[in-house]
Amino acid sequence: MSLQEFWDYLVLGVMLGSLYAVIAIGYTLVYGVLQLINFAHSEVFMLGAYGSLIVLQLLDPGENPTALASIGFVAMAMAGSALFGGVTAYGLEKVAYRPLRRRGAPRLIFLITAIGASFFLYNLAGKLFGRDPMTLPEMYDNNEVFSLFGAGVNITQMLQFLTAVVMMIGLDLLVNRTKLGKGIRAVAQDAEVASLMGVDIDRVISRTFVIGGVLGGVAGFLFANLNQVSYTMGFIPGITAFAAAVVGGIGNIRGAMAGGVLIGVVETMTVPIFGDEWRSVSAMVVLILVLMFRPMGILGKQVGRAA
Amino acid sequence: MLNKSIVRLAVPLVVGALALTGCSSSGSGDDTVKIAFQGPLSGDNVALGENEQNGVKLAIDQANAKGDLGFKLEYVASDDQGLPDKATAAAQKVIDDESVVAVVGPAFSGATNTASPLYAEAGLVTVSPSATNPTLTDPKNNFTSLLRGVPNDSMQGAGMATYYAKKLKAKKVYLIDDKTDYGAGLAGVAEKGLKDAGIAVVRKSVPQKTPDYSATAKDVVNSKADALIYAGYYQDAAPFAKKLKEAGYKGAAISGDGTNDMKFIELAGAASENWFLTCPCTDANVEAGTKKFAAEYQKAFNRAPGTYSAESYDITNMIIEQIRAAKGKVERESLRDALAKATYKGLTKTFSFDENGEFKGTDVYLYQVKGGKIAYQGNINQLAG
Repeated sequence: MSLQEFWDYLVLGVMLGSLYAVIAIGYTLVYGVLQLINFAHSEVFMLGAYGSLIVLQLLDPGENPTALASIGFVAMAMAGSALFGGVTAYGLEKVAYRPLRRRGAPRLIFLITAIGASFFLYNLAGKLFGRDPMTLPEMYDNNEVFSLFGAGVNITQMLQFLTAVVMMIGLDLLVNRTKLGKGIRAVAQDAEVASLMGVDIDRVISRTFVIGGVLGGVAGFLFANLNQVSYTMGFIPGITAFAAAVVGGIGNIRGAMAGGVLIGVVETMTVPIFGDEWRSVSAMVVLILVLMFRPMGILGKQVGRAA
Repeated sequence: MLNKSIVRLAVPLVVGALALTGCSSSGSGDDTVKIAFQGPLSGDNVALGENEQNGVKLAIDQANAKGDLGFKLEYVASDDQGLPDKATAAAQKVIDDESVVAVVGPAFSGATNTASPLYAEAGLVTVSPSATNPTLTDPKNNFTSLLRGVPNDSMQGAGMATYYAKKLKAKKVYLIDDKTDYGAGLAGVAEKGLKDAGIAVVRKSVPQKTPDYSATAKDVVNSKADALIYAGYYQDAAPFAKKLKEAGYKGAAISGDGTNDMKFIELAGAASENWFLTCPCTDANVEAGTKKFAAEYQKAFNRAPGTYSAESYDITNMIIEQIRAAKGKVERESLRDALAKATYKGLTKTFSFDENGEFKGTDVYLYQVKGGKIAYQGNINQLAG
């Protein structure tokens, strides 16, 4: 691999990794407050993509929209995906997890419910939206905008990366600077004491789900730009992002970002070196190596109660 | 141990006895003969299955409408999503329906590979309009019920290689398969053909459902290949085509019958422009012999016939002809033997099979995406010159 090729793949890897990072945050947030692996998060992601598709089909960008209109379409599609993702995550918490929490169900039951909810949602989506893959209508001409270390970056990639960065910074500020963020951290540290201190746990948990859902939904839209929309699209990115969350240290938000980017870069670098079929293998090798030498993940420390 | 083996013996006997009584009662009761179709009727490649299903339905409806059959034909759908792991259940469903005497399908090579032992055991004939992996008709498999109604991928892959070598004078070809039975088989033949013609080949595998084709597209550009072969289905070919365009790939690209569907253009948009597509199928909308069929199909389903629609129609008519010859009183095995020996001149081509159930015939056709349509070019070997 020449140096130029190295930069090419590195840029692509960081772009893809930033998407994984945004999805991984959804896993990590929920794990932080509930010690629950929300396996239905991949379906939140998938439904977010459908949300943007529906919005775009309603608006119908047509041929060659103006630059201003393009920005509008992107914003509306993003809003649609955020709405779908947020509502799905909210509903999930309300219907699937809260009743279990009220009854003090053991951890394993939560996990099985999560998997069940995931199956239910993706089959429901297949039934509702059809089982054919679809693509988002073109919102703009995907031109190259600038080059980074000689690697061309086009509009879609820039959009993908910038949105991910903005969302991650926003979330970091939210968690560290706001009252809700304080509540999230308090519940993550010790739910029982937090509730004694007057934190409304139900509300914090439900809002945490919505935040994760909004991020996941928008990631679904960005991903649909990269590939296409289908009812099975959540599974592979979902599992990969989950691995990224674990690599970064599950429960740790900055860890999820770092893990996502790391996994994205490793996956992409695998393609020219070993070939595409080794992509997932190399991601899982990274997971295993990290778990072997640092079981709590790269930036992980014990957050909240022992799982 | 003894008990177990008795049970093992007894169960099929009892089931068989029940089946026999079921057979005789239904045979004398109402004169309904069923023809099934097995293929993807849901899932990621549903468009390819529906093209064929409609061809089968049209043939059955027309035969019934004529009113001179003396028995009634019925259509049975069996959905395998084009997936090997769903294929056995789909096949079993058809086998268990005793009035099904023949199956059109399975549509995909992987599904055919897993379903064929079941069909062979049941003696139920399957005529596939589109399963093109060359190894399926290997006598070692003992797929005694499988007839192939289409030239296999040896022809398609060789056609691609010839076209690249002779017509486009390619120097270096980037060859990708999608790791399915179909894709790997097609790529294998193409690779051999290209190497024999002295063309450098970069062979890579990209599994289906890869979430991001950007890196692969970059790899294609960096490899400095001037031509590309994608052996797989449209669902993956479409996002790949998009990424190739974004990566600035300027060379030729060709894919096989798994991609030869309007869905490919729908999904890939402008990125599909100029892609070559091969198919052992003719274009029913263009060829003179199938113009009438295309109009009838359009009327019945409100869309133009797609890849393998006309072939499925032909195969169904071939089956109906044999059932008609037996005046509707057919048994599965006798129908299988009759079909294996039969010759039928359909709208698209003449169907006949060698002793392994392999199609006798070699014609492969070339298409190219032009102006958002799949434009028929003609016989690939004649075009290559």
